[in-house]
Amino acid sequence: MIPLFLSQRKTGGTGYSLSTMKATKEHIDKRTLSAFSKHTFPQVLALQAKRWGSERVAIREKDYGIWESYTWHDYLQYVKQVALGLLSLGLKRGEHVGIITDNHAEWLFTELGAQSLGAHTLNLYTSSVTKELTFGLNRIEAAYVIVQDQEQVDKLLEAKKKLAHVRRVIYIDRTGMRTYRDNPWLLSFAELLERGAALGQKEHERFEEELGKGKADDLALMIMTSGTMGLPKFAMLSYQNIIDMARKWLETSPIGVGDNWISITPPAWIVDQMWGVGVAICGGMVMNFPETPATIAEDLREIGPAIMITSSRFWEDLASKIRVKINDSGFIKRRLYHWSQRIGERIVDRESAQKSIPLWLRFLNRVAYSIIYRPLLDRVGCSQVRAAITGGHPVSPDVIRFFRAIGLNLKHAYGLTEGGGVFQVQPDGEVKPETVGKTLPRTKVRIADDQEVLVSSPANFMGYFKDPKETAATLTDGWLHTGDAGYFDPDGHLVIIGRKHEIMRTKGGEAFSPDFIETRLKFSPFIKEVVIFGEGMPYITALININMETVGDWAEGRHIPYTTYTDLSQQPGVEELICGEVRAVNEQLPSHMKIRRLLLLYKLLDADDQELTRTGKVRRKYIYEHYSKLIKAMYKDLEELAVKGHVRYRNGHVGTIETTVRILTLT
Amino acid sequence: MKAFRGQPTIFASAQPDDRRAELEVKDLCLNFGGLVALQNINLSVKTGELLAVIGPNGAGKTSLLNCITGYYRPQIGQLIFNGEEVTGLRPHKITKRGIGRTFQNIELFPGASVIANMLLARHMHCRYNVGLAALFWSSVKREEVRHRRVVEELIDFLEIQTIRKELVGSLPYGLRKRVDLGRALALEPKLLVLDEPFAGMTLEEKEDMVRFLVELNETWGQTMILVEHDMSVVMSISQRIIVLDFGKKLTEGAPTKVQNHPDVIRAYLGDTVISQPA
Repeated sequence: MIPLFLSQRKTGGTGYSLSTMKATKEHIDKRTLSAFSKHTFPQVLALQAKRWGSERVAIREKDYGIWESYTWHDYLQYVKQVALGLLSLGLKRGEHVGIITDNHAEWLFTELGAQSLGAHTLNLYTSSVTKELTFGLNRIEAAYVIVQDQEQVDKLLEAKKKLAHVRRVIYIDRTGMRTYRDNPWLLSFAELLERGAALGQKEHERFEEELGKGKADDLALMIMTSGTMGLPKFAMLSYQNIIDMARKWLETSPIGVGDNWISITPPAWIVDQMWGVGVAICGGMVMNFPETPATIAEDLREIGPAIMITSSRFWEDLASKIRVKINDSGFIKRRLYHWSQRIGERIVDRESAQKSIPLWLRFLNRVAYSIIYRPLLDRVGCSQVRAAITGGHPVSPDVIRFFRAIGLNLKHAYGLTEGGGVFQVQPDGEVKPETVGKTLPRTKVRIADDQEVLVSSPANFMGYFKDPKETAATLTDGWLHTGDAGYFDPDGHLVIIGRKHEIMRTKGGEAFSPDFIETRLKFSPFIKEVVIFGEGMPYITALININMETVGDWAEGRHIPYTTYTDLSQQPGVEELICGEVRAVNEQLPSHMKIRRLLLLYKLLDADDQELTRTGKVRRKYIYEHYSKLIKAMYKDLEELAVKGHVRYRNGHVGTIETTVRILTLT
Repeated sequence: MKAFRGQPTIFASAQPDDRRAELEVKDLCLNFGGLVALQNINLSVKTGELLAVIGPNGAGKTSLLNCITGYYRPQIGQLIFNGEEVTGLRPHKITKRGIGRTFQNIELFPGASVIANMLLARHMHCRYNVGLAALFWSSVKREEVRHRRVVEELIDFLEIQTIRKELVGSLPYGLRKRVDLGRALALEPKLLVLDEPFAGMTLEEKEDMVRFLVELNETWGQTMILVEHDMSVVMSISQRIIVLDFGKKLTEGAPTKVQNHPDVIRAYLGDTVISQPA
């Protein structure tokens, strides 16, 4: 018998377990919510801490295998300690603080701590290389940087000479840091807390004084936009922007006090910002932090979040993982699954056609739910999900259909960092796979003459940091130019065609959206990434990354030997497999959008090689330039091409790949 | 909070006396019938030291470790640990004195989970008896909680959170080696004896293992004897090296000195240089 630990940590939480917390359906009323718009995040936190104190859990984090809880009171105390700690170091109002952390409670403590002193924060990705971090920190002239661990400290030490503005680096995880002890540039987070507590002893009212000085329309934080177009920009968001966004969600979604959110998207992304400092604080949701980035799947299952917003890639990966597992399972399980999947799909099709569902079908669906869907959803940690939302990149309508058929309320949403987050969501009961839904309250969306989607709302950002030119181009008379082309369908749902500047025309003048084709191809479990070409060309071609995991399994099942990704991708059997997948998609596409030739790339597209952004979007322009030889070959009568490629490793080392790539033609 | 990570209690709260590990091996001889495995071995280990024992196949490295940990009984010689004679004691008695070990071929329980395997090592530190355990008395509960905490901190230290509930039998080799080390650490040994911790590992796994061992030794002052084949690793992390060949001690000293010792080169590369046919 292995009992749970009691809370032994001296400074830790109060040791609630998941089961002792009652499931509640209490909501924050609209009047209270609208009052929040006049406050900063730390001020709202102080109000919530006053209301709930030690009664309710605000944050849960898995530590040493156990979910440790922090109540609203604990939360505020930590924020206070961090704030006073930073104050004792010399952080001044209006200065900037860089945060390079994974999803852990310290992220929120730091961010809110800095903000309660009137400082502005910028989150950066822990996966970024030194150059990217230096660029971001120098751009905002960060005075202090809070980092996760030794890995990040090493990156900053490497660039210390260039980081002239950084006065101190505060590291959270002390593992392996003993040899760094004497470096006066570094300070541990535990010491920061001690400093804060000491100052709190001396000056009792100091934190409250500083807290009171914050105003709702002040700049709160900056978010680095993904930069599909080139250098990243820094979108400035005020407290009001994000609190307004939080209100929109709380007014329209089934979110109650004490509902669970699991923080798995990087804090440098708008989604977890919008939730962590916005919705969770205003609506009293519990922020749950996984133990390590590697244990997310297990931790997600244990928490069972009530609402999830993740990138399209998450759902695409999950769908292909489920399909592979089902194909590997026994005969009975497989038959039962396919039987229930058919029932689910019939229901979804009838729902989207707004036809009534016969009683017998409802009954069968009920049966399928209890024997197949529910256990399956439980396995992937989604059995408690009331709304699963996909944002970022458009996801294939097939993925939506797949998940809705097994009873997961997956829907599309649309938004962007500059708009303060997500402002278009499909309402329950009106889910249409191809749209991004209806507009949230207090938001106006219109379509410009050139089909660009424009949005106006109190959540619209303040502008780009130190970039008035770009700001003026993006924000005109309160209307935000999204850069996406779209239209409203007869039911008032917004349909996004693709990035405005990415709509392409073939030589014959026919318009197509590469995104549109790519997302459909990516639903194949065997295809990981696709880049479509064809601008000004007679036909459309594709550059494809196979999914090493699934194709590897497939090859093993057929006794096809392979060594590396490069080798696997050039196997004749694999080529045939992928051609088959592309042919199936071609059948659904209008004739001018059909893919005529393709090649399987010898390496995976990677953010370290600048081919993807850190959020996983394809940097089309870069790929066009970098692989122009290969792309041109697809428009010549070539059968194969010898190439020499480069791979950049995390340690900065550059490796070379020499191989021959075959160009495949579809008939 | 992760800010309080990286300070496992069994390391951080260890007193100087808990870390004391002075081993003296005097004139050790071991025979299997007529075969001489070890011949007049003399060596000493000091507190906080990382001593490596190297040598070609069959040199007697593992035999030496087995003598130190009580698996073999030497015919002649003395083993003195922290001033007490431990020669010929049974393995569990030696473990109680504070010598913990890992195995070359990983002797874990494949049918039990990682946590269960590691908790087993805590058995030595259990203060309750069968009766109290059956009643699950509150003191037993408190103790169990403490043991689980110790094990979880080691899991965190060795970065094996993702596999804590997996069966050991289902794990790849490199991870099993890490669990083996975790179990040895859960004993809270004063002297840690490692039998080929890098054998059969990939480069990445070796790098991780080196990181753990160096941190144990440099940050937490863990005394270690390391038997190893991989010369490059041994040279980079150990403070002193002992070279064995055919059961005899060839030489002893700092890595650079040992590396260039003619006897060592001969033992590893052979005696005569075969001239290339014209």
